[in-house]
Amino acid sequence: MSNYTIERVKTGVPGLDELVEGGFPKGDTILVAGKAGTGKSTLAIQFLYNGAEQYGETGVLVTLEEPPRLIKRNMMNFGMDLAKMEKERKLVIVDLSPSKEVTPVTMGEFPSFDLSGLEAIIMSHVKKLKATRVVIDTLSILAYKFRSRDILREEFFKLTANITKKGVTLLLTSEIPEHHLGLGVFDVEAFLASGVLVLYNEKISDTLRSRSIEVLKLRGSKHSSRIHPMRITDEGVRVFPGEISPGA
Amino acid sequence: MADVKSKDESGSEDDDDSSKIVIVLFKSDTCAFCPRAEEVVRDTIRDFSPESFKLRVVNVSENPEVAEEFGIVALPTTMIGGVSITGIPEPEMLMKMIMGAGVSKMRGGKK
Ligand SMILES: Nc1ncnc2c1ncn2[C@@H]1O[C@H](COP(=O)(O)OP(=O)(O)O)[C@@H](O)[C@H]1O
Ligand SMILES: [Mg+2]
Repeated sequence: MSNYTIERVKTGVPGLDELVEGGFPKGDTILVAGKAGTGKSTLAIQFLYNGAEQYGETGVLVTLEEPPRLIKRNMMNFGMDLAKMEKERKLVIVDLSPSKEVTPVTMGEFPSFDLSGLEAIIMSHVKKLKATRVVIDTLSILAYKFRSRDILREEFFKLTANITKKGVTLLLTSEIPEHHLGLGVFDVEAFLASGVLVLYNEKISDTLRSRSIEVLKLRGSKHSSRIHPMRITDEGVRVFPGEISPGA
Repeated sequence: MADVKSKDESGSEDDDDSSKIVIVLFKSDTCAFCPRAEEVVRDTIRDFSPESFKLRVVNVSENPEVAEEFGIVALPTTMIGGVSITGIPEPEMLMKMIMGAGVSKMRGGKK
């Protein structure tokens, strides 16, 4: 169909929607990659918060790394009250962080498993909340939890396909290890996603670092292919689409 | 610890459960390896001493909140006394876990 237009899901992150033709394509999987401290979690949670606060879209935050109590505290510093949002049933934080006390200690694994447990947990919340935005933060944790890479790869494809099947927009974060050239610990993260954002916080002098963001790919978008400055302020992540990053 | 909602499959209603080693097997409707894992667990229990165990099978498709509570994302996962194994377990591994759980149970029982 020639006049088919992709429905866009606004991130509400200041400056970002301009870079991606008005928002993420609805029902797509977007990967936000970057080294530790580049702002992946903040950006991802802003996407959920704004969805619920401004665009009437409820969200599910699956945290595999940081415990919810820390996430709430961090986001409160940016003026985002996640606890209130949870009470209003606009958001649910699914705690799969290692800090949970009842999580058994693993003796290891045999290469005969799938991630249908993770999928069932996520989908039960999506149904309960009629959520249309899901964040998994961060996928990389599973690389440390399980050794069978081939299984994980295949399971990630199934998982992302099943979550987005009915129009849920999925944002995954992936932590790029220090001194690593790819987009994540698996090197398949980029193939999972129809959109990839990379966040940087590069040293530009002995005393100065500079944050920036790059849109690597986005389905059906004439997205900006430049690297743009980004800042983290008291209100969270902000992108400056009009400027070109000094490092670029 | 939260009550693991699911079918209890060993012993009779008025058994003294507190002395038993609880084995929890997490499975789902779509999990291809789960039926085999369940078989291995049942066979191992049978060969050991069935009356010493309480097997609980949690179908995560039906009870996702139980898996969430215990942080179980990969299936099958077999949990015995605070330790777990993912995938189709080898009987030797299960035995090791059972022995570990039995020992800590005895220690915990001493006042
Ligand atoms: N109020 C704030 N003003 C500016 N920067 C902040 C503020 N609060 C946190 N930061 C910065 O935000 C970053 C944390 O971002 P985060 O989203 O947790 O990163 P990631 O998930 O990529 O590891 C840190 O670099 C921290 O210095
Ligand atoms: Mg993070």
